[in-house]
Amino acid sequence: MAATLSGERDAFAGLVERYDRAVYHLALRTLRDAEEARDVAQETFFKAYRSLRTFKPGAKFSTWILAIAYHACCDRLARRKRYAQDELADRADTAPGPEAQVLADDDARRLRAAIDALPEKYRTVITLYHLQGHQYEEIAAVLGVPLGTVKTHLFRAKEQLRQRLSQTEEEARS
Amino acid sequence: MYDDELDRAILALPLEEPPADLRDAILASTVYRPAFPFSPLEVSLLGACAGVLVWLIALLVTTDVGPLFAQVGDAILSGAGVISHPMTLAWLALGIVVAAYLSVTMQPPIGPPRTVGR
Repeated sequence: MAATLSGERDAFAGLVERYDRAVYHLALRTLRDAEEARDVAQETFFKAYRSLRTFKPGAKFSTWILAIAYHACCDRLARRKRYAQDELADRADTAPGPEAQVLADDDARRLRAAIDALPEKYRTVITLYHLQGHQYEEIAAVLGVPLGTVKTHLFRAKEQLRQRLSQTEEEARS
Repeated sequence: MYDDELDRAILALPLEEPPADLRDAILASTVYRPAFPFSPLEVSLLGACAGVLVWLIALLVTTDVGPLFAQVGDAILSGAGVISHPMTLAWLALGIVVAAYLSVTMQPPIGPPRTVGR
């Protein structure tokens, strides 16, 4: 990061190489649209590159870049809501995501489909949990919410995931 | 599914593969983006010049041009009057002579450039 701040091109290229998948993954899971996720990933790194000077020394680059990506996703979701009213953050999405439409034939697909079907705020927190692991403080920093909120959202998200997964298991059996 | 089992399944979920050209697109829009040919100072100077030009054009269009040209002509003539004054010409000539004398007598010595001792 220090090399990037001192203007080394290759250093930033290294950061892109390291985090582009995580940023794309977060955008894709949050927006559920591959084309928009691609745009968000590009926009995120562009914004980060332009505002490198605002990066606080000692902070984690992953947290910073994921926070930029998350805010870009929020902007897009807000725009969608304004124009189409097709994404309601506080209610569970009844429409299946793109992956839920595909027959879930293996565990990873089933889990992804279940995550896709979660409401946006739970979907994002589960995706960040996937990316950041048990570092709840980092997740809270990315989302800009208190630690308690992260834990609550994560608990509820897991509850809903468990319900959906057992539901699909039963459906598959019958 | 138990909590631990679900945790493990979430953490083991493979990351989504981004489009093949995403990385190149990001690099092209950041580190390999061609630099803007003008510095911010040059951009502001060009902007100021453009602004003055627009203002002059607007002035010419909206005001009667005849008296304006007359005023400008008078200003030029009065400036020329000052320059053509004998004393001004004398000082000007003196300045030119001194400059010519200094440029002839203070030529730098011709030779190889001085090397810095190591």
